[in-house]
Amino acid sequence: MSSSRCLRRISQLSLDRAGPSSIAPRCLLTLPQSSTFSTSAARNANPQGKKGSAAPPKRGTRTLNVKKGRKDAGKDAGKKPGPGERKAMRKRIVLSNNNALEVSGLKDLEKENALDGSTEGQMVGIHEDAVDVLRAVEAFKPSQGWSLFRRPATLMRKETTQLAQLLKQVEESEQSTTIRRVLVGEKLNGKSTLLLQGLMMASLREWTVISFPEAQELVNAHTEYAPLPGSNPTQYTQDAYTANLLSQFIKANNKLLLSSPLTTTPSLPHPLPPKPTVKQLADLGVANPEASWPVFTALWTELTQPGRPPILLALDGLSHIMQNSAYMSASTTPIHAHDLTLVRHFIDHLSGAKPLPNGGAVLAATCGSNSPTCEALDFSLQVAEARQGTPDKVPLWNQYKDVDARVMECMKDVEILRIRGLSKDEARVVMEYYAASGMLRARVDDGFVGEKWTLAGMGNIGELEKASVRLRVGAMGYR
Amino acid sequence: MARRELARSAWETIEFLGHPRRFQCPRKTTLLPRRTLLPPAARCLSTTPSRPAELTTEGPERFTAAPPIDFGKQDAGDSGDGSPQRVQLRSLRIVPASPSYFSAKPTFNDDFIHLSALLRKVATLPTIPNAEAPKVAWKTIDQYRIMVNEPVKTQRFHKMLHILRRLNTINPSLMPDEVLGAMQRYKKDSQPGDVKPNSGAIDELGRAKGVGRRKTSSAVAFLVEGEGEVLVNGKSLAQFFGRLHDRESAVWALKSTQRLDKYNVFGLVNGGGVTGQAEALTLAVAKALLVHEPALKPALRRAGCVTRDPRKVERKKAGHVKARKMPTWVKR
Repeated sequence: MSSSRCLRRISQLSLDRAGPSSIAPRCLLTLPQSSTFSTSAARNANPQGKKGSAAPPKRGTRTLNVKKGRKDAGKDAGKKPGPGERKAMRKRIVLSNNNALEVSGLKDLEKENALDGSTEGQMVGIHEDAVDVLRAVEAFKPSQGWSLFRRPATLMRKETTQLAQLLKQVEESEQSTTIRRVLVGEKLNGKSTLLLQGLMMASLREWTVISFPEAQELVNAHTEYAPLPGSNPTQYTQDAYTANLLSQFIKANNKLLLSSPLTTTPSLPHPLPPKPTVKQLADLGVANPEASWPVFTALWTELTQPGRPPILLALDGLSHIMQNSAYMSASTTPIHAHDLTLVRHFIDHLSGAKPLPNGGAVLAATCGSNSPTCEALDFSLQVAEARQGTPDKVPLWNQYKDVDARVMECMKDVEILRIRGLSKDEARVVMEYYAASGMLRARVDDGFVGEKWTLAGMGNIGELEKASVRLRVGAMGYR
Repeated sequence: MARRELARSAWETIEFLGHPRRFQCPRKTTLLPRRTLLPPAARCLSTTPSRPAELTTEGPERFTAAPPIDFGKQDAGDSGDGSPQRVQLRSLRIVPASPSYFSAKPTFNDDFIHLSALLRKVATLPTIPNAEAPKVAWKTIDQYRIMVNEPVKTQRFHKMLHILRRLNTINPSLMPDEVLGAMQRYKKDSQPGDVKPNSGAIDELGRAKGVGRRKTSSAVAFLVEGEGEVLVNGKSLAQFFGRLHDRESAVWALKSTQRLDKYNVFGLVNGGGVTGQAEALTLAVAKALLVHEPALKPALRRAGCVTRDPRKVERKKAGHVKARKMPTWVKR
């Protein structure tokens, strides 16, 4: 304890005693009154000599402390991890496993064949450049099984081809087209992976890629926030998060775009260098987090100028931004997630209120394991699915339930992309890849594939991996 | 039985009075209809209190003593002159039909003698090995004792059972009706194989239904030919059962017989916990599979999918902490 703190503590002691002395006579549980600077009374209350003469322990109480797992036993349990170390370990992304075999004949997805469906039903490797991009936008999740294989590879499943078709449609259309989709499906069915595949394909096709990897981080009040001046109703900016997003943007997007000069002249609180490039604009936001939101808006204006590439906006964990956030307003009422500027920006594009002038796609994935209940969102997704499948049987909202009108409004005409289980052929391709990587030591035949396919809940790819690869690896004690 | 024979033999004695040869009561010929001829208001001779009704399916047989023979009245109706008959009667020795006539409760003896006589009669008929004889559940000694209301000795009863088993081994194609009728008296009311579980049928949509239970869970499974899709309460197998072990349990009947990719399962489960539900489904799926392929029964039995596991949570007892656990012993 430093000397200044000691002094403060002593002065506080005398103050503490002075305060409650007036009410002390009324309190039944008063402590023995003693002068603040004297310890004699306390010492007299428990003299040293009486230490051993306490009453014998009652019958039935344990007097011999021989049990394991007592508090003192943990004292020399070794060094504890430092602050943040555990979280870093938890969030660590491992993308290769030197013990896994190299799969011969695994081709990378290239720019040319990214969107043309020729690789449907095959495993494709992720090119190193794409891996860097996906790492930058945190598209790889620690819970996914990337660390089991030599290098990242994905299955081009049926839904991937559907998504590729949509992206191709954006590229080929004359006027700007905005694809808006919510990816829905069972838990562990590959929604985040499909988002990753979308990001991969878009980045291969040199689109501008902006991704919110975890919607929870936008709303759980772990980053600072401030009201946006001049906004009515009040909106809130998240400067640190936005600065981080800008740095991710710089890492994830291609050099050509970043080195191109600005076509607009944004008015910013900080001066830009002469003849600024897009990267310099984004760097300004990274360097000055307090100016990150104006920089982000300026950057967005720049990116939506004619002639710029299409944009892919992606978000994982949609239901987190469909409710009140953990932030509080000045009047201590919770702030709705849609009042956060970044969320607002995404929602405007997802709902179609603001189209992308150069075309592009807005993808939002729901989450099966970490998603707060949001009835309005669930209902909207049901309606969207019914509109696509059976338009005459669209469900109606129960009028006696409260509804989050903002959610209903923004999800009004969004479309969904339902991810179902793998077909048996796709499951077979994946399991052959597992076997070729040396992670699955079984003969991959129809019976084996069918059995795992059924046990994985009709081809749920996450369960398939759990049942065929992770179970064995886990049994060996290696995770 | 004895009382009627006494009555009958008495009457025959009286009819016989004019004939010089020695009187012998005829053996009884039929056993079956005798119970129907009993007077309904007959009184039980036994001094022991009658057994509670729930212990026995049929009460003890009623026993009536024969009415006393009024010799004076008899000769008046039959012949004109009574005095020579009265002289003859005095020199007659009436032999009762049953050797146990003078014992208080002759029923068992009569049964035994009847069966022995029957066996003597049919002894020459061809027999089959005991293992191939039709399975019969004989009455237990307690049930027999209650029926005849007589203290039958175990050893004697077993001797009688021995005769019955021998009668049962007569070649069924040559089995006389008389023997069948006689054996009926000693069979339990319900015989093995009486209750036949109705073999399920495949309905017009190709579904077979099976029901299974385990602990407090119960499951219904509908099995159709398909490619291995499983829905439990409308959810996929992976969604419904988090543990891989439970998923395997649920479809174990199909997996152990290599039928996993040949059928689709639609299961409905309720009650109990996750493991109980999974194992209830095992049984349900196995039973539904048996409707489709009855020949799989031995394979399924080997896989442990046929027998219902009857174990349940044991109840807590008074004075115990749990079902068996006793409170810790404390000195004073």
